[in-house]
Amino acid sequence: MAMVRDTRAMATASTMAKYVVLTIGALLMLAPFFDMFIGALRTPAERLAMPPPYWPSDPQWQNYLRVFTELPMGRWLFNSLYTTFTITFLQLLTSAMAGFALAKYRFRGRDFLFRSVLGAQMFPFFLFLIPVFFILRYFPLAGGNDLLGEGGAGFLNSYTAIILPFAVTWYGIFLMRQFFMGLPDELMDAARLDGCSEFRIFFQIALPLVLPGLVTLGIFIFVYQWNEVIWTMTVTRTAPDLQTIPVGIYLLRGAFVDQGTQSLQQAALAVSIAPVIVIFLFLQRYYIRGLTAGAVKG
Amino acid sequence: MSKRNRPRRASLIGWLGSKQVAPWIFLAPTLAFAVVFFLLPLVYAFYISFTKWDSLTPPKWVGLDNYKYILTVDPVFWKTFGNTLYFAFGSIALGVPLAVGLAYAFSKSRWQGLWRSIYWLPMITNVVAVAYIWYFVLDDRFGLMNRTLGLFGLGAPGWLTNPKIAMTSVILIFVWMQLGQNMLLFSAGLSDIDESYYEAARLDGASEGQVFFKITLPLLMPTTLFVLITNFIAGLSYFALMLALSDGTGGPMRSTTVTGLYMYQVAFSDLRIGRASAMAYVLAAVILVITLAQLRLFRRGGVEAY
Repeated sequence: MAMVRDTRAMATASTMAKYVVLTIGALLMLAPFFDMFIGALRTPAERLAMPPPYWPSDPQWQNYLRVFTELPMGRWLFNSLYTTFTITFLQLLTSAMAGFALAKYRFRGRDFLFRSVLGAQMFPFFLFLIPVFFILRYFPLAGGNDLLGEGGAGFLNSYTAIILPFAVTWYGIFLMRQFFMGLPDELMDAARLDGCSEFRIFFQIALPLVLPGLVTLGIFIFVYQWNEVIWTMTVTRTAPDLQTIPVGIYLLRGAFVDQGTQSLQQAALAVSIAPVIVIFLFLQRYYIRGLTAGAVKG
Repeated sequence: MSKRNRPRRASLIGWLGSKQVAPWIFLAPTLAFAVVFFLLPLVYAFYISFTKWDSLTPPKWVGLDNYKYILTVDPVFWKTFGNTLYFAFGSIALGVPLAVGLAYAFSKSRWQGLWRSIYWLPMITNVVAVAYIWYFVLDDRFGLMNRTLGLFGLGAPGWLTNPKIAMTSVILIFVWMQLGQNMLLFSAGLSDIDESYYEAARLDGASEGQVFFKITLPLLMPTTLFVLITNFIAGLSYFALMLALSDGTGGPMRSTTVTGLYMYQVAFSDLRIGRASAMAYVLAAVILVITLAQLRLFRRGGVEAY
């Protein structure tokens, strides 16, 4: 008896310990966000006081609105939404098309192409920064360039420069191929007997069946692109009209050297995070469902 | 029936929509992209790496000079390479054990949706926000961190201003960013372990600690290797956080300049495009060698563990 009670007590203690660990970890995860949220509420006077108080005595809630009137937040928000949605759409389309071809057709060179897709994923991002920048810069007949790519600025300082290098994702092709592999071939053969073209088979039969996969991949892409900084910063450094929220906040950092304005910076940071949090909280369920669907089919 | 027996339209659209041609149309955008934004850049950058080019005047062929300079003359390159290794090793040495421990606590807990949302929050936050959030938290005198340490009478290190510890601070922030993702990978690995192992161990009277070290950890080996390898490779090419935290300088005193960031500075600030391209290829070659070595290790580890 005593022995059983002992193990039970130990089991309870270890369960307690697990929740303590999870709670402490969660607090450490949240504390920096909390610090930003509180910081955004301080008055300029509190910022400049010596020593500055931690808790705002007169919370400046309107700072969260001031970022829209005193910073080009509206413009940044539009650019973030426009580029992120366009890239997500393009990557889903190209991934689905290429993944479908690699999963459901037999043709010469298919296995080579699939292995190339796997291999391409291994190439690090930084290797492409410099050459892609100058390929866009000297793109023939773009942005005032002549046939040899001289004379204009090419695709630089345009949405194309932000979007085009992200039109295809190797990982996405791989993932969509896995999803399409799970569809039975009989389905396509039946449609062919009915005289469907391959395009109708793809768009009207295959694509709807892999919707969970598209949602999963779509969320991955959206979160990644919303948060993309290095590339967008590189091609929009001299084009404030094209900057996204994180890039805009980073490049405007000189305006926040004055401590009195730093509450505004922290409020802007909060605004830059909010949309992905909302999307994540709403779509987390679909995301997990998509993951399990992929695991079963793949 | 009439539909099926209808003769195929011998039109262009019919030909394009046939089983032989359609897959190539599906692949066409990707193939075009691969040529312009994958193959061409690799060749182009390789060519540039043998030239001296400031992007304003035509490139001048200099042979292996850029590679020679980077590897034998430039003291900064090797310093940044050391920083890169310190960052990559440090972030897995700290991050992976933490992620394993948290995943173990998480895997059979209640309110999983809540924990997951909290631990994923830093992961879905853009790197500029992460950098500035921590910039305020780690402020020397009045940041949340040093205020908290002060409450316990502990010293207030210059987290981001002392060159000796700045990179360690970057590692701490990066681990905080990546923890949720690694935790999820490990908890997926944990749920793959068959429950019967645990039942058998408990029947034999094994303690919680024994179960964890003798059963859970060895069976988690494939996941651990996977996380170690992918994190290490990602760590070697990472530089966004260092850039945002230091206004692009990689300071204080180059202490947070990793090779990727140095390449970026040499290319886009110094306009030494040729030298930066050579640097990119040197770093990529190092990463390739490490990747291949680790893949071999991974295969062996994966087989042994099963």
